[in-house]
Amino acid sequence: MKRIVIVDDSPTIRRMVRASLADIGADIFSEAGSGLEAIEQLTLGPVALMVLDLNMPDMHGIDVLKFVRRHPASRALPVLVLTTRGDEESRDLAMAAGATLYLTKPFQPHALADHARRLLSVQTGEERTVVEP
Amino acid sequence: MSNHDQDPADFAAGFMDDYFAESDEHLTVVRRILVDVQPGPGGGLSPATLEELFRSFHSLKGLAGMVELKDAELLAHHMESYLRLLRGRGAVVTKAGLNALVKGTQLLEQVIAARRAGTASPSIAASVSDLERYSDPAANLQDAAGSETPATGRRRWRVTFAPSPELAGRGVNIDHIRTELKAIGSIVHAAPKIESDGSIRFEFLLEDVTDEAALGSLANDGLTLESLAAAAPAITGPARETPEDARGPLLTSSNFVRVDLGRLDELMRMIGDLVISRARLAESLTPLERRVPAIEWRPVQENSLAMERQLRDLREGVMRVRLVPVGEILGRMPFVVRDLERETGKTIDLQLSGQDTEIDKFLVERMLDPLVHLVRNAVSHGLEPADERVAAGKPPSGQLRVGAASVGDAVTLEVEDDGRGVDAAAVARRARAAGIPVPDGPLEPAALLDILCTPGFSTRDAADRAAGRGVGMDVVQRAVRELGGTLSLDTEPGQGTRFVIEVPLTLAITDAVIATVGGQTFAVPQSSIREVMEFSPAAVRALENHEIVPYRGRVLPLLRLAALFGLQPRPSRTLHAFLVGTGPAAVAIAVDRIQTQREVVVRPMADPLVKVEGVTGATDLGDGRVVLILDLLRVADRAGEFAAAGGTSSPAPIRRAR
Repeated sequence: MKRIVIVDDSPTIRRMVRASLADIGADIFSEAGSGLEAIEQLTLGPVALMVLDLNMPDMHGIDVLKFVRRHPASRALPVLVLTTRGDEESRDLAMAAGATLYLTKPFQPHALADHARRLLSVQTGEERTVVEP
Repeated sequence: MSNHDQDPADFAAGFMDDYFAESDEHLTVVRRILVDVQPGPGGGLSPATLEELFRSFHSLKGLAGMVELKDAELLAHHMESYLRLLRGRGAVVTKAGLNALVKGTQLLEQVIAARRAGTASPSIAASVSDLERYSDPAANLQDAAGSETPATGRRRWRVTFAPSPELAGRGVNIDHIRTELKAIGSIVHAAPKIESDGSIRFEFLLEDVTDEAALGSLANDGLTLESLAAAAPAITGPARETPEDARGPLLTSSNFVRVDLGRLDELMRMIGDLVISRARLAESLTPLERRVPAIEWRPVQENSLAMERQLRDLREGVMRVRLVPVGEILGRMPFVVRDLERETGKTIDLQLSGQDTEIDKFLVERMLDPLVHLVRNAVSHGLEPADERVAAGKPPSGQLRVGAASVGDAVTLEVEDDGRGVDAAAVARRARAAGIPVPDGPLEPAALLDILCTPGFSTRDAADRAAGRGVGMDVVQRAVRELGGTLSLDTEPGQGTRFVIEVPLTLAITDAVIATVGGQTFAVPQSSIREVMEFSPAAVRALENHEIVPYRGRVLPLLRLAALFGLQPRPSRTLHAFLVGTGPAAVAIAVDRIQTQREVVVRPMADPLVKVEGVTGATDLGDGRVVLILDLLRVADRAGEFAAAGGTSSPAPIRRAR
């Protein structure tokens, strides 16, 4: 069973991500509206892919990412960082913290779907990519 | 894959409602913050509020990008850049910078509104170049001492939460815990941590705990508590070497669920149907009462009444879901006033009250324009320039009060100034010049208001630019009336003016009195009836062309609904009448019979062909009969207009709508 966790404080963006990823072969989508909720999701069952926003109210996405990488169960979890253009400094930090893929918003639905599908099938956490618009 | 074929614009189109709703939320946050900010050192931008502001614009930018609203994205981007600069250096907002933020916010709102309405978007070039100027690090900024005071000496609690699928299944998740904790104290820190066995825990540092008993009861939810005597330095969470973006914990998650108003309307409609069904049931039960032994009848009766009560509770519950604090629109007034101060050069002390008053979401949006217009009027017509005020012995700053209050089933919105008052003579002169009929003698406030609200009575002086903006008093009154509300005026020359808008708390279902006239049944909303009167036909006196009845030591004009509607009244030994209106506008409206009092579901009459003045809607009484709901105040008004125009007490009948 493949579960994708979508982390973004904007419900609109979460819906958009979900709609974009509807056809890529995931079984369950879980949504988290904050960093702490994202981490809670790790305790609620296996996760196949995390789509992670950076700027969130309670805990920055980079901190979430670091936590994910520290925890043994999620060390290899593919994390697709999806953040609004303009967090330039964050890009390097996100990659340093262990992001699998870095994409910026606004995103193209099909491009997001393609990347996510690939991450779902690879599932190794070895591959690391930054995609600039 | 279907996603491949999708045009980005089509993709975004499906999310526009979400976009508008969420943008509204962020803009509301921004407005609330900006209103409180004072420019200069010590001004209100704490690191936490600055962060909140920054995040709001960041979100607005991201959202606008997704729906391809480039202007909004660009504007939000520049606001964000400016704030980033402030944030990075703990800097003080200058007055000019604050103005640029306020202006930018208004423009952003307009850009989004234009997209929503499908109209042309205003130009953002000027605002963007303003913001760019202030974002130049060399300009305008000075360092401020950090205002973060470390909280020490207070008792703190360390609360640890161990999440699990089992707890989450019961609804006990991190969000729930956070909400609970926030209700009983303030969370100063929150961080996840990994235990030696690999399990994940969340640690909260809680301060200012108001209810230790409540804290204790949380132990059931998988929480462990630990009291920390005096505040030690905060626990260090995950390493904080991340840059500017990672500020301290800001726990601002909201407990709100956003629901499409349409769904609530649907729910309300279903409850309306339920109310009708119950009425039908009660009606069909009535004939059984005589045939069933009392001992068997009683439980039927009790259950029926219980159901009625429960339906009422259900209805109120759903209605309460629709209520939003009126602060949502009152919060915009400081912006409006700030603009007006700039435009008119007057200084104004604005006092807001009753922001917590709740009102139907549908109404709150429609009340904004009327309210803004009244505020503009008060500033440009009511409040005098400072020198004039000082000469009159008033404080140099104009006092403006905008308040809301709930009164039973209604909400009042008031705009009150301590300005020069409405000059009745000048209004009368101008009205006559514009060909608007003016009653003789001194003008009562109600008559004055009627003139002010006559279409075409607009003040055209150049000085009134601020009040203009396309909305006249007639539009204000129409907007209020369409919502079943009333507008009233109270003014004292030299002392000030007060406008009061009264609107029903919610629409849809109302308590009504059912009455018959000439074989026709009507419903009258109970809120408009001050009293139900009964008197002998012999008590009616004729005065010139009018009929009057004695009432508590004075007389009231009597209006016969039958005559007004062109119906044949049923002769009867006693006359029944509703007393409506107050003061000089009070009038008794006679009907043949008053039947009962009950809840009715208001079905608005949307078809202009059946729209009749004085008729606010129709309702189904449960027996399949459709009856009209009358706005007696309007009916009385109309009769008054005829009288004023030299008509008789029996004006031309209003045509009966089928």
